[in-house]
Amino acid sequence: MLTIPVRRALALTAVAAAATTMTTLAAGSPAYAASSEVYVVHGIPATPVDVYVDGKITLQGFQPGQVAGPLTLPEGTYDIDITKPGEPVSSAILSAQDAAVPGGTNISIVAHLDTDDKPKITPFVNDVSAVPAGKARLVVRHTAAAPAVDVRASGTPVISGLTNPNEAELEVDAGTIDADVVLAGTSTVAIPATELNLAEGSVTVVYAIGSAQAKTLAVVAQVLTGSYTAPEGVDAGDAGLAADRPALGWALAASLGSLLLILGVMKLRAARR
Amino acid sequence: MSGTIDAPQDRLGARRRARVRSAALLTAGAALIATAATTAPQQQVGTAAPPASGVIASTPTRDVRIHNGAPPARHTSVPPVAVRIPALDLAAPVDPVGVDAATGQVAIPDDVRRVGWYEHGPGWDSTTGAIVLAGHVDSATQGAGALFGLRRAKVGTVVELTAANGSVRSFRIAAVEQLPKSRLAWQEYFTRDGRLRLTLITCGGPFNPNTRRYRDNIVVTALAD
Repeated sequence: MLTIPVRRALALTAVAAAATTMTTLAAGSPAYAASSEVYVVHGIPATPVDVYVDGKITLQGFQPGQVAGPLTLPEGTYDIDITKPGEPVSSAILSAQDAAVPGGTNISIVAHLDTDDKPKITPFVNDVSAVPAGKARLVVRHTAAAPAVDVRASGTPVISGLTNPNEAELEVDAGTIDADVVLAGTSTVAIPATELNLAEGSVTVVYAIGSAQAKTLAVVAQVLTGSYTAPEGVDAGDAGLAADRPALGWALAASLGSLLLILGVMKLRAARR
Repeated sequence: MSGTIDAPQDRLGARRRARVRSAALLTAGAALIATAATTAPQQQVGTAAPPASGVIASTPTRDVRIHNGAPPARHTSVPPVAVRIPALDLAAPVDPVGVDAATGQVAIPDDVRRVGWYEHGPGWDSTTGAIVLAGHVDSATQGAGALFGLRRAKVGTVVELTAANGSVRSFRIAAVEQLPKSRLAWQEYFTRDGRLRLTLITCGGPFNPNTRRYRDNIVVTALAD
């Protein structure tokens, strides 16, 4: 059997090797990005709940329409259980066993209704990659007991045929839009216009929640910041009035040098005569 | 009643997922080895084995932030309306500006006597990050610009930033940099986090008469007094 120091050394080597591999594989994302930011979104109408993560109570009296987070969770798998307020985890009304939380991601776990009005849990990975300067990212998630829908911005369809439990995203100029939701391919409004202030460099996630049949369709919004990008640069002059002029100095020196040289040559010639 | 769980709506490609998976396996493996090595000499009494993934979950806290899910309200910061550097005899009105859609650069005011404030970043009332002002050094048609004298700024010089209500915030220059445009990493100069600062940007350095462009940017960073 190996002695303990050797084992430790081996382990350390393995960790170092793994870390190196991680860095190589996950190029572009931080090497230490083993934890993830996790949000919980409540999209089931009229049902306050408690939320358990791996059997530990995490949210108490969590209300429909609310967004909780971020929780920083190490990469791994988690059991998520949702109970009626105050009830034990053993009588969960909704459970997701071994929900995978990959490392270095930003995730929203949504409790919502499926198209048959039954509660379910759907995790979404949030696209928090860089948003170009001046823009905002809008993500729309269909998590309502409703048929396929279109999303319109100020009357113009921007997302078509979105179905439960899917998402669509687009980058728009930062600013305010009036967004409404209509039944796909129609102008029948399912969710009336909502004013959305899309801050520059932010990611705004909008969930359609509730049930069409029960007339409880509504919108829940979640805003993620920190994806902004600096502008490309600053071009602030085209006259050259403030230019450094090393070229001029050298040119003067060169001219002066040539002049001296010519004068010298002339003098030499004169002396030889 | 038990719910179902869908695969994450992952935008990563399959290859990336495979990479993540192999990375996860490696980490898990390494963590398991590490756990084995460090716990081996100790007598484990009544301790649960680590989860199969090899990653021990942190205890989730109960004081998780809760948001009401309402659509985001419009956030407006206080725009600066004037900038002054008394020691350089420099004073200019300030206009909010955004990004030039064609170039992706800061859309500085056409009038060279006016300076642009990058309205997407921190404002006059911000407590963190960089309040960014960008203005002309000169123009072929209008002559010297508002920030013509900026290249002569010295560390320690006071910069005053005025809001519409007349309130003045005072900053002191901490750095004067001349940086080649081709290699400038702008992200840190436009940060929205960290210690509050005022960043003034114009052009400088050698001028190329063919492209009619300066090679460098002059970047002055001033910290709140």
